[in-house]
Amino acid sequence: MMSYIKYKVQGSMAALSLLTLFSCDNMYNLPTDQDFISENLTYNTKVLEPILGRTTVFTPLNVDNSTLPLQFEIVNARFGDGTPATDFLENAETYEWIDEYDGRETSLQEIESKRRLVSKPMFEVDSGGRFILHASATSDRILPRPTDSVLKTQDIRFFDLKLSNSGGVRYVKDFQLIPWREMDYDPTDLNPYTGEIAPDPANPKDPRKRAYILPSIMVGLVGDSTDVNLINNDQKKDLVVYIRQFQGGNGHKLRFKFLDKKGNPINPAEFNETRWDNLVHGFNRETTSEYVQYDVAYPIPLTSFNTVYTMGGRARALFSYSRMGWGGVRQLATFGLDFRIFKKGDWEIVFHFQNDNPKFDND
Amino acid sequence: MKNKIIYSVLLLWIGFSFHATAQTLRGRVLDTDGKGLGGVTVINTSTGRALVATEPNGSFSVSITSNTTLLFKLVGYTDKRVNVQRGQTSLTVTLAASDQGIEEVVVTRGYAKRPKETSTGASNILTADDIRDVPGPLESLLQGKVPGMNIQVNTGAPGYRGTTQIRGLSTLTITGSGSESILMPTSPLYVIDGVPLDADRASEMGLQQQGPGISPLSMIPPEDVESIEILKDAQATSLYGSLAAYGVIIINTKRGNSEIPRINYTNNTFIKTPPKLRETLGGNLERRLKLQQIYGNALTQEDIDRIQRTPHLSDSLNAYFNNSTNWQDLYFQTTLNQSHNLSVDGGNRILSYKANIGYYTETGIIRNTGFDRYSTNLRMDYSPDSKIRFTGQVFAQLGKVNKGDGTGILQTGVARGGLSSTLLPPPSFYLASSDYISSISTKNTNNVRVIRPYIEGSYEILTGLRLTSALSYEFSSSTEDTFTPAAASNQFSKVYSFAGRETQLYSRSSLNYMKSFNEEHNIFINLFNEVRNVTRQNSVIHQHRTPNDIFQGPLGFDGYFSRGGGLLNNFKDERAVSFALSTSYDFKRTYVVDLSYRMDGSSGNGFGNLYTRNPAIGFRWNAHHEEWIKERAPWLNLGSVRASWGINVMPNSTLERVYGRYNIWGNYNQQQGIGIDFGQIPNPNLKPTTSSQYNLGIDLALFNNKVDLVYDTYYKKVDNLLFDQFLNSSVGFHVLASNDAAIANYGHELALNIRPINRGDFNWTFSINGALNRDVLLKLPAHYGGQFIRWDGDNNGQHVVFRVGTSTLSNYLLLNEGVYSRDEDVPIDPATGLRYRASSGVFFEAGDPIWADRNGDYILDDRDYARTGNSQPLITGGMQNTFNYKNIQLSIYASFTAKRTILNNALAERMALMANPFGQGGDNKVVVPLDGYDMWRQPGDVAKYPYAYAYTRSNTIQPFRYDQTLWEENGTYFKINNIILAYNFNRSFLSRYGLQRLRVYGSLDNVVTFSEYSGPNPENVTSMGRDLSNGYPVPRTYNLGLNLSF
Repeated sequence: MMSYIKYKVQGSMAALSLLTLFSCDNMYNLPTDQDFISENLTYNTKVLEPILGRTTVFTPLNVDNSTLPLQFEIVNARFGDGTPATDFLENAETYEWIDEYDGRETSLQEIESKRRLVSKPMFEVDSGGRFILHASATSDRILPRPTDSVLKTQDIRFFDLKLSNSGGVRYVKDFQLIPWREMDYDPTDLNPYTGEIAPDPANPKDPRKRAYILPSIMVGLVGDSTDVNLINNDQKKDLVVYIRQFQGGNGHKLRFKFLDKKGNPINPAEFNETRWDNLVHGFNRETTSEYVQYDVAYPIPLTSFNTVYTMGGRARALFSYSRMGWGGVRQLATFGLDFRIFKKGDWEIVFHFQNDNPKFDND
Repeated sequence: MKNKIIYSVLLLWIGFSFHATAQTLRGRVLDTDGKGLGGVTVINTSTGRALVATEPNGSFSVSITSNTTLLFKLVGYTDKRVNVQRGQTSLTVTLAASDQGIEEVVVTRGYAKRPKETSTGASNILTADDIRDVPGPLESLLQGKVPGMNIQVNTGAPGYRGTTQIRGLSTLTITGSGSESILMPTSPLYVIDGVPLDADRASEMGLQQQGPGISPLSMIPPEDVESIEILKDAQATSLYGSLAAYGVIIINTKRGNSEIPRINYTNNTFIKTPPKLRETLGGNLERRLKLQQIYGNALTQEDIDRIQRTPHLSDSLNAYFNNSTNWQDLYFQTTLNQSHNLSVDGGNRILSYKANIGYYTETGIIRNTGFDRYSTNLRMDYSPDSKIRFTGQVFAQLGKVNKGDGTGILQTGVARGGLSSTLLPPPSFYLASSDYISSISTKNTNNVRVIRPYIEGSYEILTGLRLTSALSYEFSSSTEDTFTPAAASNQFSKVYSFAGRETQLYSRSSLNYMKSFNEEHNIFINLFNEVRNVTRQNSVIHQHRTPNDIFQGPLGFDGYFSRGGGLLNNFKDERAVSFALSTSYDFKRTYVVDLSYRMDGSSGNGFGNLYTRNPAIGFRWNAHHEEWIKERAPWLNLGSVRASWGINVMPNSTLERVYGRYNIWGNYNQQQGIGIDFGQIPNPNLKPTTSSQYNLGIDLALFNNKVDLVYDTYYKKVDNLLFDQFLNSSVGFHVLASNDAAIANYGHELALNIRPINRGDFNWTFSINGALNRDVLLKLPAHYGGQFIRWDGDNNGQHVVFRVGTSTLSNYLLLNEGVYSRDEDVPIDPATGLRYRASSGVFFEAGDPIWADRNGDYILDDRDYARTGNSQPLITGGMQNTFNYKNIQLSIYASFTAKRTILNNALAERMALMANPFGQGGDNKVVVPLDGYDMWRQPGDVAKYPYAYAYTRSNTIQPFRYDQTLWEENGTYFKINNIILAYNFNRSFLSRYGLQRLRVYGSLDNVVTFSEYSGPNPENVTSMGRDLSNGYPVPRTYNLGLNLSF
């Protein structure tokens, strides 16, 4: 019995000494393994000037090799005069993509099944530190910069960003959010401050003149009466475009219309070389003698993914027709517009031949 | 004559002092069984002189004065002192067999021999028996034999060495880039026969070194080595000063030790075979695979049409394109090599001599490489009595290396050539193989010639007080001549020549005092100083466009084609002086205290800290000497506890770091100016790196020495590490050499030695040792905030991250999480609706690798890197197993490394071979079978490796980019280093032929490596854990040898 106790004592002594030997990680008072969070965490852009009514993703955080993931939190949102600003952080319904839109969808339902409406803050910082202003942020929810173009500090929404990981907490301070009012379509003929039709850039003081949207492409159009090429330049605009809403649609229509110099509609069938089925990613095409219209999903284009309907992030609608020219040569005329429409509704895109009608007859 | 006078005077003095008379004493020495013991040395303790050795039957006869104490000594037996009474004429002495390996073991501390039992530091001793029977470099023979010494044989290049680290990481300096980036070598200090040698001097330029680069350790024939001692903790190393910050390895060569002259001849004849080479698809298989790859993955008609414009794909009826060239086979070969070593030694305690002549020749397994060594080591010891000792020694070594067109460790040309398409060479002009011509016909000769005379004299002034002085001068000359023929170098031959010389004048003088009071209190004081003068000067010549292949020199016909050269910047002229004091006190050999202090001054230090100071302290308790333990634990043959602390200070300063560098640049008053180089700001406050270490150790020998165990635990802090700080661009200078970084290494070492069976004919010895070392980065320069990333400028982009609180050397890579099985698996950005994409805008799709989007922006870029892995091994160790049955010996030596991350760049390169099936000329690569890999092939496959055949992705997504964790693999391996089978012929049989000893043996080296690693060899990787596909593979060796003495 005695010897047993002796061994027990010896054994426990040995175990204890081994324990002290092997448990020495703490003994050496080593620095702990923790995340790195840089002192130089920053954003390249701290003054955020998005346009309301469309989804804007800002340039990401400059992480300076801090250990990811970081936790982000918008704190201390206030107007420049110190009053709290919470309007832009309120929830609103916006679309969120759950599957990739690739332009090959065959129905509106298929498109709609790839996105869903969720309620989330109109302005948020996502898990990667990107600031996102959702399309749900409209001018009536978030007051844009003043129409008189005089920006006062109390019009600016300031906020700070808190970043943290196990290495510590950093603040990036004094972000400024100065939104532009909604511009429902692009290219624009509107004044960005007021949202009204802009004056002619060449004669801004002349109230009789206005800014126009010009077609992106205009090749081979010949005037019916003048027999010279139709052109657009600073002095003369033969073909202009209006993007406007119309009444009587189902809420998601897109209509193309062509007006002659007298303002009468031109029959779309005259544009005989147009690929009407690939004009836009739309469905249920309806062709009348005055217009062509489609059921579409808004915004147009849905994403910046390059599809057969887009070019450089905008939807491209091309119209063309051909006729016999001098010497029996077939002349091809093409015009079209690269555009975006952000707001859901019944929109029509109108091509107006202001000065001369296009020549359709053979020579 | 002078000695004789001194001797006589001393004798007289002794004689008078004892008033004694001479008498003759006859007697016998017996062992415990009563058998006579021959060869026992009988020593007169009062004079310290050996009087006689006993006859084979144990009898002896000496003439002594009365009242003398005689000491009887024989290896393997406990010494016995006998006091001879006045008038006594006969004496029978019984010697008891000593406990194995305890009393006899002697260690070296500060160039003085001390009993191991009283040493407080952590050290290991290997003997000639541990490293015999295998031809090869000395260092690789030590692998796995010492716990805490991590040796990686990571190159098979003849004449070069792998890496050696004692107790973990001691540097943060990485040189080179990409796969070739290596840790600055921190090899221990080698002390060869009392002279320190810097083993890293050949490798301080990284893998792309200039000059021969032959490891100084390759120049020592292992046959000539008597013992190797490895000092690990700071108490042991601090006496060696600033050079010893990475540990010390003391190598002693054999010395004369035989009354009858003895001739010993060792021969090894060995075959080296290359490892298994890469499997390739040859000839028509290659063409068909490439065509299939194009048909299956082409995105445009243009790609299909391009086949018509690619002759080796479309012109299959051309006989030339029906080659199936096995390029690798042209570079690699199996070689037959040999080594011869002849030594002659003889002498007695008064005069002994030794001559060792060695020849070693190795033809590389890569053609046009090889190593030859010629070495001699002559030594003479003269000791007329115990007071005077004199040693003279000359080393002379000649090493010849042929590196081919590589740089020794790297064989880039061979690696690239081996990847050529099997359809090559093409019709009409055989130049597609310029890599081959370059590898095979480049004439490369490297010579290193070393000569080192050494003399040492020693005189015992008073009993116990000894003055020793030693002087050595080493001269080594290195040359390299490379001639590249025109066909291998764009139709113009070229020449490279390197000439270097290095000298070391070294002198050491020491004063030892040893005194024992009442056989209880023992003190030992060792005071010594060292003086060193080291010089080095290397210069090179590059001459391009030499006239033709016939004219290979002399050169210098046209400066226009000179491509520079001149003096290399590793010029050195250092003068150093050191003073050291070490004291040791023990009480009955039970309680031991060691104190030591050393100062090192060097002309390389700044004046601010001319001398570095290295203190150390150590304690030891030998429990087995305690009476109460002897009673209670008779099974305890040895039980000691050691504790030590010490500091090694190593200067970082160079003239350039302290004073800056001045270059010829700029103008002043239209005169050429000399201005400071803005690359590095001078830092006169640069502190020396301080390595302090605590060690706690336990030595145990149990059950009549059947089991012995050595355990050590340590904490080593390497402070003030050199770390280049990149300065703000407004400062003007680019880099500040600062020393605000620190690493801690801590770990455990265990060596267990078991002799389970030891009866008569059969002996079995088994040892296992292992070390666990963790390193933690303690600090970085403050303004980095705890993390620094060393961006790799190479395309490979395998970056290194240093983060405080974590293992020091981690990779900074993209995290690979598999392969996208289907297109739908690629995540979609909910805000933009776009798929995850590369920064070039190309969307990921099925078959592409999944790289974690760390920053959540759905774009893969360098913000998505993460810290991962640890390139340094956590566990290293080895095993030895030896059976002896009668005259047969079977030994198996193994080593292991565990818990280390290696980057399989070789596989990355192999997978990427499919990147361009249209490649022509140099881009026309071989294809390899990928059946064995878990690779994505069709939608729905869940795989590890991305789709290699999708050549259209290779430029956009780069699925096989190097900077990803896909290549991170566990570098754990268990290697059987050697298997040795030896037979000793019976002495009685041999004596008929006049032979004394004949031993024949067969051995295998680098037998087999067990590992999960998917690459060729988990050991053949750089110190940063990167598998170099252009490295030199480690061959397997089959050896037959014999060892003959007469």
